[in-house]
Amino acid sequence: MKQVLEGSHAVAEAVRLARTQVISAYPITPQTHIVERLSEYCADSTLAARFLRVESEHSALAALIGAATCGVRTFTATSSQGLALMHELLHWASGARLPIVMANVNRAMAPGWNIWADQTDSLAQRDTGWIQLYCEHGQEVLDTTIQAFRLAEWLNLPVMVILDAFFLSHTYEPVDVPRQKSVDRFLPPYQPRFKLDTEHPCAFNQLAPPNIYMEMRHNIQAAMDDSLAFFDQVEDEFEDIVGRRHGPVEAVQCEDAEVILITSGTVTSTSRQVLTDLRKKGEKAGLLKIKLFRPFPTKAIRELTASAKKIAVIDRNFSFGASGIFAQEIRAALCNHPGHPLVFGYVAGLGGRDVTTAVVEEIYWLTKGNDMPQGESIWVGLHEVDHAIGQS
Amino acid sequence: MASQQPLTNRSPLIIPCSYLTTEGNKTGSWRFLRPQYEEKTSPCSAACPSGEDIARIQMLTAQGSFKEAWETILVENPFPGVCGRVCYHPCELECNRREFDEPVAIHTIERFLADTASRYELKFGLDKLAARKQKIAVIGSGPSGLAAAYFLALLGYESDVFEALEEPGGVLRWGIPLYRLPPHILNEEVSRLQDFGVHIHCGKPLSRKFLKEAKNNYDAIFLGCGHSQSIPLSIPGEDLPGVEDGLHFLKKIRRGDIPSLEGTVAVIGGGNTAIDAARSAARLGAKVILIYRRRQQDMRAFAEEVEMALEEGIEIRELETPVEIASQKGDLLVTLQKMRVAQEDLQGRARIKPAVRKRKKIRVQHLFIAVGSSAAEDWYDLPSKTRGVTKFNNCVLVHRSREPVLVYGGDLAASIKSVVHAVASGKEAAMALDVLFKEGLKAIESTLKSCLVGNGPSLSMEIYLGGPRGKRNHNIVSYENLNTDYFRFAPAISRPRLLREERLQSFAEINLKIGASLAIREAERCFNCGLCNQCDNCQLFCPEIAVIRDDNPQGRHINYDYCKGCGLCVVECPRNAMVLEEERL
Repeated sequence: MKQVLEGSHAVAEAVRLARTQVISAYPITPQTHIVERLSEYCADSTLAARFLRVESEHSALAALIGAATCGVRTFTATSSQGLALMHELLHWASGARLPIVMANVNRAMAPGWNIWADQTDSLAQRDTGWIQLYCEHGQEVLDTTIQAFRLAEWLNLPVMVILDAFFLSHTYEPVDVPRQKSVDRFLPPYQPRFKLDTEHPCAFNQLAPPNIYMEMRHNIQAAMDDSLAFFDQVEDEFEDIVGRRHGPVEAVQCEDAEVILITSGTVTSTSRQVLTDLRKKGEKAGLLKIKLFRPFPTKAIRELTASAKKIAVIDRNFSFGASGIFAQEIRAALCNHPGHPLVFGYVAGLGGRDVTTAVVEEIYWLTKGNDMPQGESIWVGLHEVDHAIGQS
Repeated sequence: MASQQPLTNRSPLIIPCSYLTTEGNKTGSWRFLRPQYEEKTSPCSAACPSGEDIARIQMLTAQGSFKEAWETILVENPFPGVCGRVCYHPCELECNRREFDEPVAIHTIERFLADTASRYELKFGLDKLAARKQKIAVIGSGPSGLAAAYFLALLGYESDVFEALEEPGGVLRWGIPLYRLPPHILNEEVSRLQDFGVHIHCGKPLSRKFLKEAKNNYDAIFLGCGHSQSIPLSIPGEDLPGVEDGLHFLKKIRRGDIPSLEGTVAVIGGGNTAIDAARSAARLGAKVILIYRRRQQDMRAFAEEVEMALEEGIEIRELETPVEIASQKGDLLVTLQKMRVAQEDLQGRARIKPAVRKRKKIRVQHLFIAVGSSAAEDWYDLPSKTRGVTKFNNCVLVHRSREPVLVYGGDLAASIKSVVHAVASGKEAAMALDVLFKEGLKAIESTLKSCLVGNGPSLSMEIYLGGPRGKRNHNIVSYENLNTDYFRFAPAISRPRLLREERLQSFAEINLKIGASLAIREAERCFNCGLCNQCDNCQLFCPEIAVIRDDNPQGRHINYDYCKGCGLCVVECPRNAMVLEEERL
């Protein structure tokens, strides 16, 4: 049934439909609406889950690590500083092979305090062993969150569903909420492959000396590799039951494109409009949306950009001392691929600054108009600042 | 190390998993600091002149164990009913809770426990030690004499208490007004002592000769004769009709000889007797002026009593002293000399001098003198020679060959004249005599020192008797030693009292009873400084599960095989009942 839902509430509906058993979270703007709604569901028994109130995000994830080790379906949500505070336990969750699902609302890291959209918080956690899925709109948020449980539980890897602050978390859109029966068919109760059980006492995750540690890491990577194929399988099943799929990447008019814009998150929707306008003007433009960031869909990107001359990566994030992070990843994915297109990196929209159609179009023309990238990253739309401290 | 088999055709998982117990990993070997249970001394108990185990009394009260709480008082003080009413409760001044919100109403809880014991006719279950052959004569049945006889009985000694007047109690019966201490309370406490084996012989005034004669029947004599003789003003007109001794006035009222006082009454003095006389006169219908030569803040009377006197409409004239009393048309014309503060002594008390040419006259109908008291007979006074004399905090022992041992106690020897100091004096005397009889004179000082509560000067009979209180560290718990995260702000109960108007109509007791629920609530406010109240924080916070509950008196022990010495238990103990010390190799 279609409902007008806030992005945050699309997450909450998905968690409800997934019959999650333990939820633990600490409020932080702009994530709060997610767990607020879930706590209401727990309070009024709409959802038969245990909601654990904790004093920090670190404890929230620690609590879920405990719960998940006992073999139950778990969920948490956070944002920005909260995610950073979880950092140590993000490694633990993946290393312990616990299928925890988290929604992270992309928000800029402080200081200066900024509650608006920026992907640096989650991209800074890219090496923690979590699957990362960047969503574009409310429907995708809901569908992806449900799918995340399937992915996580099959692969024994934690999954992060990621949505832009406010542009997505606080924006109301029509969202089709599938029936509980359909979701139950798609997502049966969690069958843990291992769990803490007082009838059969054992201890997990104690000392792993050098003779086994590498094998454990390799085992995680093997699951990451499996996940690419498994993601397709999950989408197939979901499509059979619910009738929708979003894809790990989505290529729009890339087949004959000379310049392909590469985007993630809500910037993609804006770019779709720009693409239509450019095509009307006869420009050979294309658009590639990347949803699955970990594992990185290297093969798909190589194939889908093979015929283009240039690609323009729009990053709403930045790795200091290097460049936009998607641009880095794409350069790495393409460098050993003969005849790959030139990669132009652009940084835009940090800290919630609007990435308008004009900005995206400017990026397109800059890319088309230059034979070679003018640096690792071009910062689009920087203002003159005349009040910096220490100016002589 | 084992990998679990997949349920379906998924890749196998590799995670560390062990089915062996982790108990083999004795993390205790990492320890270089050792936490231990170690109870300490609460500041209130050290401040109590009779050394009552107040933190424990509050704990037992909070648990509803009223009888045990009452008996815990009785080990140190035979008069909870009296002291729960008339004690000036220095304990509350030292209460650590004062720094948090308000001190615990310890005084009110003591009275509640006594009221409860009385209501349910509780019998106390203290056992006397094996009978000793020595016998002691006690002169005076005031609080010090009765306390001495009680503690001697506890230690196995027989004693005879000689009281000059027709009923026992001394100052408790004759000097403290009814509105502070109703006689049935005193009677109950005295008869409990009699049931315990204290022999009281009333109407037996003794003379100096007794000190010599007693040698045949007694091994020691305790003199607790008190200060029952008022000191005169020594000014002209002191013998006029209408001028009366304040102590005598109070005694008359207690005897039931209640005069009606009309007009204005002047009371001279600033001690508790002056306040008692003034408040009694107000109840008999008089307008009362209290005349004191120093300032109000210098008065020896307990501040709470002064405050209530003011509430009851008594006028205090400070820095004035009578120099002459004359009779005029049936009234008394009192000439008052204005005084001035010349300087302050080390305690901040005023030193005064007459202000030149500043005199005035006031007309009153009655005048009560209450400027101090002394021993009624000169043979009650401490010996002037020092041979064979040993001074303790609240008693003086005279041990001379061919003479019976004398112990001067109560007001004759105590550091402060108060009921609770009199009790402390009786206790100290009983302990000193016991040591003297068993081990000789030289052992007294060191033995008493080992029974100090904290650093003293209060003594504990429980410690003397070898009770568990003796295991406590003598360090007094300070506010900084507590972990107040575990306490909630809660105001002290308001002590219920008669209204001012009701008080003035009769000699009815002013302070009213409180119920058990209120008492429990108040006792729960107590931090129980230094004592374990089984809150279990140590067990809850131990990351190694090394705190093990058991049925020893501590309720738990630490399994040092696994205790890493992190010290969390010690930090999270709200009441400083644990200690973290370096591991001794």
